Amino acid sequence: MAEEPKHDQVRSRNEPFTSRTATRIWAEHPSEDNPYIAAKVFCHGYDLIELMEKRSFVDVFYLLFRGELPHRNEAQLLQSLMIALINPGPRHPAVRAAMNVGVGKTDPVHILPIATAVLGGAHRGGGEIEAAMRFLRKHQHDAPTAVAQTILQSRPSADHSTGFGEHFGGVDLMAKTIVQQLLTLPAAGEILRWGNRLAEELEPHGLGWLTTGIAAAVFADLGFHPRAGGCLYQLLGAPGLVAHGLELANKPITAMPFVSDEDYVIES
Amino acid sequence: MSSNPRTHITHSDAGHIARLEQKRGKIFSRTGGWFPGKGVYCHGYSMLEELVGKKSYFQILVLNATGKLIDKPLADWIEGIYGCLSWPDPRIWCNQIGALAGAARTSVVAATTMGSLAADSRSYGPYTLLAGVEFIQDALRQHQAGASAEAIVEKITAANRGKPYIVGYIRPIAKGDERLEAMEKFGKKLGFSVGPHLALAYDIEQVLLRRFDEGMNINGYMSAFLSDQGFTAAEVYQMFAGMVASGVTACYLDTYHRSPDTFLPLRCEDIDYQGAAPRRVPDAD
Repeated sequence: MAEEPKHDQVRSRNEPFTSRTATRIWAEHPSEDNPYIAAKVFCHGYDLIELMEKRSFVDVFYLLFRGELPHRNEAQLLQSLMIALINPGPRHPAVRAAMNVGVGKTDPVHILPIATAVLGGAHRGGGEIEAAMRFLRKHQHDAPTAVAQTILQSRPSADHSTGFGEHFGGVDLMAKTIVQQLLTLPAAGEILRWGNRLAEELEPHGLGWLTTGIAAAVFADLGFHPRAGGCLYQLLGAPGLVAHGLELANKPITAMPFVSDEDYVIES
Repeated sequence: MSSNPRTHITHSDAGHIARLEQKRGKIFSRTGGWFPGKGVYCHGYSMLEELVGKKSYFQILVLNATGKLIDKPLADWIEGIYGCLSWPDPRIWCNQIGALAGAARTSVVAATTMGSLAADSRSYGPYTLLAGVEFIQDALRQHQAGASAEAIVEKITAANRGKPYIVGYIRPIAKGDERLEAMEKFGKKLGFSVGPHLALAYDIEQVLLRRFDEGMNINGYMSAFLSDQGFTAAEVYQMFAGMVASGVTACYLDTYHRSPDTFLPLRCEDIDYQGAAPRRVPDAD
């Protein structure tokens, strides 16, 4: 280095950080004699104990993220989606990760963070949802035929960020069936219905609804922000991840396949 | 179950199914593997005969992250900058994950890995190196096509309502970056000279200092230096995936060895509730 580079003197920016973290979600009222112990807690203004008495888990789940309790039909739609997504299934990479955690004798409390991180990926995971929600919100008033043409023209490089595509080379039948069930519900919304018309256009070409697309459509119809979509997808799939991880947690390491040396190919 | 067989048609691509069938039960690796009794291989090298004890840990780390076996001085430089990228202050966001994890009595591995994951951020940490390297490599292409450092900065500020939002310059919390001089001295000691990316990075810094009173940060320095060493943005991101780990571990241990709940304890009133006032829960309809 011929000449010493000249840099600025390091100085604090003295940014005006807040003295207290703000939340609109949760209030904790202190006890009389210990400011660290809460005597009552409120979720968006509702007493938690009263919620326990009067409302379902799905109602309070919706309240937590949306700030208001859902209409009965909205709760029914969300609950149906939660059931549909409760387990990505034993062949999904996130569940396989959970199984590896279990059979590897990792502490069971690590199953959830490890497997949900994998379920946050951009293929068949939460990483697709925000883009899919934005895609659906943007195109919900466009002609499905034209949008289908655009998707088909971008094959095979198309990623899954629309919520529609190939699933192992063809149409995901379970996704299609789940949508048919959701469409019978009174709260099935415009975006889900539009998405289904798009899926019908795509189907003869071997493309269709992806599970992530269903989640994106229902989240969008229920008014969730696209930024929340990926996390919600992870949350809704979490029970299946943990169940499969725990199922293998007391099994020997031989309870899962270990690829033989003959089937392990190092490519040059 | 539907009895209509037409509902089970997937319109699948037969070629796609055939490709999946070829991969069933097999692992294909471009990286390496362990063959018990025969050896462990990493990008064509026998790990135990050619790497362990002969190459440094950071040479092996970069080999795993990029497939490139780099020379020792460059590995030493990377080790040096790793020391700059993680320090034991729990006010830093990823480190605070470690401190909170210690307070909550997680395992040290959970704390360290989750803190590292927290640094996968658009504001700081390894993810920002993608944009840092892409910026300086694009800037050099513009420079070689005739654009001055001034013009490169102007193009960006014009697109950002006059703000010099360039990854690698400007830093949260503080202006300037004390790590640059330390690394510049170390780089000189290792025999590295200033390459074209770094030279341009310094020119851009001078423009920013003059016009906005903002300097280069460690991201800008390492993005330019590593670009001069021939790395792509993705390779740099991959090499630094665990760059904050040791500071997170340190912050974890500090709180792990103190009483639970004593790390930044919060009274109920220390949370500023700004939501709905208390209201009656309506019966489910």
